[in-house]
Amino acid sequence: MLMQLDAFQALADPTRRRIVETLLAGEQQVADVVAKAGIHQSGVSRHLRILHDSGFVSMRPDGQRRFYALQPAPFRELEGWLAPYRELWEARLDRFGAALEERGKQRLAKEAKEGKKRS
Amino acid sequence: MNTAAEAQRGTVVIERSYRANIGDVWDLWTTKDGFESWWGPQGFRVEVSKLEARVGGALRYEMIADSPEMIAAMKQMGSPASHAVNSRFTELEPRQRLVITNLIDFIPGVTPYENRVAVDFKVQGAQVRMVVTFDAMHSDQMTQMQKEGFTSQLTKLDKRFGSAA
Repeated sequence: MLMQLDAFQALADPTRRRIVETLLAGEQQVADVVAKAGIHQSGVSRHLRILHDSGFVSMRPDGQRRFYALQPAPFRELEGWLAPYRELWEARLDRFGAALEERGKQRLAKEAKEGKKRS
Repeated sequence: MNTAAEAQRGTVVIERSYRANIGDVWDLWTTKDGFESWWGPQGFRVEVSKLEARVGGALRYEMIADSPEMIAAMKQMGSPASHAVNSRFTELEPRQRLVITNLIDFIPGVTPYENRVAVDFKVQGAQVRMVVTFDAMHSDQMTQMQKEGFTSQLTKLDKRFGSAA
């Protein structure tokens, strides 16, 4: 439960969401994140640290450079938490499909009947 | 309602394609008998008392536990076997898009809040594609995230990583 709260808190900040969106393209260094995300240089280290601490982002040092990449685990946590709601709606849309089929049949039967009357 | 997760909310997107007539699909959302024929959820039936398919129009219905198991479960939780839901069509473009905003005011100990279901319809040949975007749960924080355009974000991320399976 705590994990999920952390995940949501980490993504609650719009700048951090922009960083995550930017990293969807793959591993990048800080300067590229700043340029592509269109965010201010100041504070980017703090945002990356929060994303790192909450498990969203990994860091790979390479000499003087630091490369950041997304990690799947917290996204799967979020997905797992949302799963019951998805299941409820999947079941609901199964019923929607069944009701739709029934409605289509009834409409066609009605149209056929009216067609006969007219002819 | 006091755990951290219960205080949160996420947005989920589900897409379905049906081999059907767009008029029939639209009617299932916007007519009394259509809506009653599928909304549920499992173990519940709905009785629509008001449905005004226009922007700002009311959608009021009673959710009634109708399976013996659900009736017993509701009784055990000390909840009534039925409750009224007050919703509104907050967006409506015939056969293209609708948004139903539900007022969730029946959870004990939780300040009433709004919960949205957005549905986009697209005719593709003999099929109708339906994209349903809904809020899983509420919290001030997640409401703020939605205002800032977080909608569908989780789905995008989901596509990036695939499912955990």
